[in-house]
Amino acid sequence: MEQILHNLVIGFGVAVTPIHLLYALIGCLLGTLIGVLPGIGPVATIAMLLPITFNLSPVAALIMLAGIYYGAQYGGSTTAILVNIPGESSSVVTCLDGYQMARQGRAGPALAVAALGSFFAGCVATLLIAVAAPPLAEVALKFGPAEYFSLMVFGLIAATVLAHGSLIKAIAMVVWGLLFGLVGTDVNSGVLRFTFGVPELSDGIGFVIVAMGMFGTAEIVANIEMKEHREIFTSKVKNLWPTKDDFKNCWASVLRGTALGSCLGILPGGGALLASFGAYSLEKKVSKHPEKFGKGAIEGVAAPESANNAGAQTSFIPMLTLGIPSNAVMALMIGALMIQGIAPGPQVMNEKPELFWGLIASMWVGNLMLVVLNLPLIGMWVKLLTVPYRYLYPSILVFMAIGVYSLSNNPFDVLIMGVFGVLGYICAKLECEPAPMILGFILGPLMEENLRRAMLLSRGDPTVFFTKPISAGFMIASIILLVIVALPAIRKKREEVFVEEG
Amino acid sequence: MKIKSQKDFWSGLMFIGSGLFFMVWAITHYQMGTAVRMGPAYFPAVLGGLLGVLGVFILAESVMMEPEGDKTLAIPFNIIDILIAVAIYVALGFGAHLIGFSADWAIIIGTLIIAVLTIMYRPNAKGLVLITAATVAYGYLMKPLGLVLATAALVFISAFGGHEFKWREVSVLYIILIVFSVLVFVKGLTLPFPLWPEYFS
Repeated sequence: MEQILHNLVIGFGVAVTPIHLLYALIGCLLGTLIGVLPGIGPVATIAMLLPITFNLSPVAALIMLAGIYYGAQYGGSTTAILVNIPGESSSVVTCLDGYQMARQGRAGPALAVAALGSFFAGCVATLLIAVAAPPLAEVALKFGPAEYFSLMVFGLIAATVLAHGSLIKAIAMVVWGLLFGLVGTDVNSGVLRFTFGVPELSDGIGFVIVAMGMFGTAEIVANIEMKEHREIFTSKVKNLWPTKDDFKNCWASVLRGTALGSCLGILPGGGALLASFGAYSLEKKVSKHPEKFGKGAIEGVAAPESANNAGAQTSFIPMLTLGIPSNAVMALMIGALMIQGIAPGPQVMNEKPELFWGLIASMWVGNLMLVVLNLPLIGMWVKLLTVPYRYLYPSILVFMAIGVYSLSNNPFDVLIMGVFGVLGYICAKLECEPAPMILGFILGPLMEENLRRAMLLSRGDPTVFFTKPISAGFMIASIILLVIVALPAIRKKREEVFVEEG
Repeated sequence: MKIKSQKDFWSGLMFIGSGLFFMVWAITHYQMGTAVRMGPAYFPAVLGGLLGVLGVFILAESVMMEPEGDKTLAIPFNIIDILIAVAIYVALGFGAHLIGFSADWAIIIGTLIIAVLTIMYRPNAKGLVLITAATVAYGYLMKPLGLVLATAALVFISAFGGHEFKWREVSVLYIILIVFSVLVFVKGLTLPFPLWPEYFS
């Protein structure tokens, strides 16, 4: 307990310095600003804004990125409630009741409950990270290459199981991502792989470029192809504060959402998306008036919003302690760390306590800022929504292009982004999810490295993955997951969970 | 045999094709090594093979399983269009190489040709192609023409990819964006972008 307090004191000492507060503030504002824009989710937002953090110190960069992440999430809920367009997948369920509340003239309370619920969930999740991370990192320090390899297999399998749509396609996308990740110089032999004589490829394909293409460009094109249809309840955002009854109805939902979201967030591939879907179904099941759901029940906003924020935060746990991303956003965070010259993993906590605890403390600070800033600023965000998309997307493209070009002042990067944009578009049309691919992409070299080392240590005996207890645990868990999902009954159930959005 | 899900059919082909490519290329160009000391070809060859197998499953599913939901494919271009686009780049690349020009110009000219061809023959693919072309043009025009003109190419070409295009609106948008870019990125974040064409400076 004392240790935790001591750590949190270090953390707040870092997070509450004026310069870091400023970066958290800028991050939250930028994140919300872009998150509010329909069709640009947190992954694209972070990928787009990543280059502006390159010149910062590692602590400041991570604090700002985390701020961008929460901001983008928060912005996503705002559009879900006001325009019925989920800014990102995890606020899809918020649309169901949030938008109905807005239509009944209760947009204000819906937004306020979403914000307050998220804040509460954020506080709990921050504490949870502070408590759970050190022991986990302790365990992780004992991991050898075999354990890491199995853990990555488990993480990737879990991510595909929890992804939307066809399981086998998701696995194929992961494998494809792993292969793309191998492009460049092989660390062991120094051989250039899949570079086809292009010198720019010898350092590999930048993951920011891939993410911006697959998510950014592809999302913009998808939005242009859709005819614009938006119904915005601008004039009706008045009485912001929820009534006493609202509070009475939703405090339990907030608690349940927070608990569920915190657990699901830790799971690889889970994160915010599954948390919000799960919380919504749970609320509907335990409610005394399930018929009210979908017609503007405040519980239907409070629970998923708390859950997705809790999940968003606890998904930092595997990233910070194991160095393994649990979703595409965390993959970007790891990429950001690597660009800053920090190898993510359990050693970060001991070697760079100010970075680790500073980030955790800044999560709480960021959450507080969002509530304090955004409730009064809702009017401004709403105004932004009335800007037609035909002005927005060229502006977004300008930022993306500058961001990618400034990575190394090389037009080749922009070309690669274009290629992955076309690929992302085709994948979207073929119903192949890009998120598992990004995870594979970032894990490709790590997996190969650990596989090689494990096999070298075991003298080429592949059973090592099943004879070491921790490694065997991950492998068995992965197999069980795959079998369960392949079972027809569960398969149906899984589809139902995702269909509920419609 | 009838294709029941076009989406799965083409995904299957895509995975088989790229899986085989990675596997064959790795085996023929790099050393396999052994399971104890894996060579650079080992992991990609295994993964490529795995991707190919997954592709075969997806392909098989597309002709055998009754699909749920709408599985007709709505891509506004076909595989021949993609091959034509690639051929244009390759031909221009060789041409540029022969007359001693930089490959950058081949990419700019190729991109513009493809953009024009798309507007003429594949109007439904306008959104995708013009947005991609706009960003690529931006990247390759930055060095020779500078930020001000490259941004103009980006904004006008991409805006032309949308539903409606009004010169006045887009011009105003361009002026706002270029002022913002110069103030924030060049003056504020001091990114080393040239503002004007090399010729003037």
